[in-house]
Amino acid sequence: MDEALDVRWFDPSRLNLLIGLTLFILFLLINLRRALRADGGLYIRTLPALQALDEAIGRATEMGRPVLYLPGLGDMSEVGTLAAVTISSRVARRVADMGCGLLVPCYDPVVAVLIDSATREAYTQAGRIDSYRSGTVQYVAAAQFAYVAAVTGLMLRDRPAANVYMGSWYAESLFLAETGNETGAIQIAGCDQVTQLPFFVCSCDYTLLGEELYAASAYLGREPVQLATIAAQDWAKILAAAVVVAAVIATFFGFTDIDKLLKTS
Amino acid sequence: MRQGPFVLTFLVGAILIAIFFIPHYRAQQVQTQLLDWANIVYAFALALGSISLLILHATKVRAGGSQAKYSLVTVAALSVITIAGVVQGVEEGTLVNRVYNAVNAPLASTMFALLAFFIASAAFRAFRARNTEATLLLATALVMMFGRVSIGEFVWSGFPPLTEWLLDVPNLAAKRGVAIGVGLGAVATALKIILGIDRSYMGKA
Repeated sequence: MDEALDVRWFDPSRLNLLIGLTLFILFLLINLRRALRADGGLYIRTLPALQALDEAIGRATEMGRPVLYLPGLGDMSEVGTLAAVTISSRVARRVADMGCGLLVPCYDPVVAVLIDSATREAYTQAGRIDSYRSGTVQYVAAAQFAYVAAVTGLMLRDRPAANVYMGSWYAESLFLAETGNETGAIQIAGCDQVTQLPFFVCSCDYTLLGEELYAASAYLGREPVQLATIAAQDWAKILAAAVVVAAVIATFFGFTDIDKLLKTS
Repeated sequence: MRQGPFVLTFLVGAILIAIFFIPHYRAQQVQTQLLDWANIVYAFALALGSISLLILHATKVRAGGSQAKYSLVTVAALSVITIAGVVQGVEEGTLVNRVYNAVNAPLASTMFALLAFFIASAAFRAFRARNTEATLLLATALVMMFGRVSIGEFVWSGFPPLTEWLLDVPNLAAKRGVAIGVGLGAVATALKIILGIDRSYMGKA
């Protein structure tokens, strides 16, 4: 029985991943140092979807209608949901500053608890905790189409002026985005699922594509240390592209074993 | 006390990253234990969420108004199903199981079937040839549709192979590009949270 137990303290088939992770942390540390030393902060290209966020919240305030924030159908084990939770705090801060309503129906109860806590804190930091209404962040249902029915009903009854979709999405993406489109709301989406991106691009005014979702919190916060993570990500992408090109050239010249170096278990 | 959640996040994150590289059975047992704890946290959060939902809708029912009837349905359904589930369980033949199969499943299927109409309306809007990109999208969509239906091959035998090329070359290249970006972005986001660089999930600026 004991013979079947794995007693190794390191899995050699994951050495390439460990090297990649170490390099990434190194890039992060270098860029943190750069960011803290740079006077004007690191450059980050404009993301129209996030530029439009203030406009959307301002429009909702003028119209006296709420902003609807949807954090996706993922749970906290998905990085897209982590990004959605961090962005929700930024959105809540802006909503609290402008003084309009906020609605956050959640699919996952853990996500609901976290967003509720982050939203309360954001309202407190804005000095508007008195405006925070119980039920702003609400767990709705952990069943996909029950959630869709609840949220589309909310859209049609309360007519939010702005709908913000961030996180991990599945088949419900088009239901929600099309219903939101019919209500005439400004729609901003961010999604890391390649299969759902075309639906959001068709139905929303602005869409954050793939990794832009992860950069959104840093973009909205503008803190130098946050921007450093985006720069580190860009360096890692350059390295990944270089490795891909090197692998293609190596394979072209007959060194086909290179794929074994890049594969993992 | 305010640093407690960040220290906990760092410790759990660091331990789980380390365990990913350690196949030792003791390390894997720790991972299993942590995942079990996550399930317990989830169960408590589910109870908390359900109670919060019940209180919210009960308040709406008491307040009255045109939407109170929807809240009443929610309160009634949540209460009956919860009580039936606790008393009878969820096995075959129980009330929860019958309601699930006779009400929930057909409703979910009906909702899913509506997707076809939403796709049609979204496609109609997307394929209007307003500019070069939209025209390119329209042309690609037409080729894809002709390549995927049997009549397409009769119109021009080149449609099916062209469809395959579109899927396997430009489409796959774009998808892989996005996937590499998403993968690196996921690592960056996880590190930001584990290292406490991004604390906005706790409402911190």
